[in-house]
Amino acid sequence: MIKYILLALLLGSVAGYLNSNWATVIDGKWVSNYAFNASLLLLLFVMGVQLGMDREAAAKMRRTGLRILVVPFAVASGSIFGGLLAGFVLGKSVVGAMAVSAGYGWYTLAGPLVGQLLGGQWGAIGFVANFLRELLTVITLPLTRKAGKNVPVAFGGATTMDTTLPVIVRYCGPEALITAFSSGFVLSVLAPFSIMALATLG
Amino acid sequence: MLDLTMLYFVMVLIAGIASGYALRRRKKLDFSKVAFGIIMVLIFSLGFSMGSNGELLSSLPRVGLEAFVIMLLAVAFSVVLVKAAGKLVKLG
Repeated sequence: MIKYILLALLLGSVAGYLNSNWATVIDGKWVSNYAFNASLLLLLFVMGVQLGMDREAAAKMRRTGLRILVVPFAVASGSIFGGLLAGFVLGKSVVGAMAVSAGYGWYTLAGPLVGQLLGGQWGAIGFVANFLRELLTVITLPLTRKAGKNVPVAFGGATTMDTTLPVIVRYCGPEALITAFSSGFVLSVLAPFSIMALATLG
Repeated sequence: MLDLTMLYFVMVLIAGIASGYALRRRKKLDFSKVAFGIIMVLIFSLGFSMGSNGELLSSLPRVGLEAFVIMLLAVAFSVVLVKAAGKLVKLG
């Protein structure tokens, strides 16, 4: 599975690069927005059906209940603490590093928002750091899955409600759908607020 | 994506789960081939947006290492806290 995922990712990147730098065959928006959102909606539906049909998964989820919400808050605190530590390790602004890690992998938000609040240099770091988080989540899945049930969800941060969701469910089974989606959803809502709150500390 | 799209995601997901629940008595349907095809389209378009993002590609070599250190520590402590919290509230 991971072979095909990496291949599709690579082919997509090359196609996107050529399309915007060499010869524009189609408006990039068609692929990045419409094709992406359409396939994601379709997939969410299909994954939902599979989950709804799975009696065992429903029973497991009922036992866990709302306790599942500790996952996104643990990811948020862990990310921000990791950012704090990274600021010290790199000898850079601790506030900047914390704001960057409060993007939780959502690079299209973190890049522009951190840039606006803390300047272009931090914006670029916010962009790349969160992009790398998304990339790492996808390519390490065969390993992280073995490290524990919620480890891929912890890796993915805010991306587990959309971009990395299908891959996580594919690897971890239908019962991962709700954990991943709800964690990604909560973190996506938290991300802009925590970035802004942390940036004002600087 | 903090807009209506998020709401659509939630609604479609709930609709899917409800349909699956309604179909429970039927023989198990196997969507894995369909899902695989859609995932490939999805990952391709994810790559496409990365590849066509000039700003991202130009900042990669400049800030890549610092960004990598920040990301790695953020991910590491996310995992540690998720594991600890999972034990605390006994997430199966």
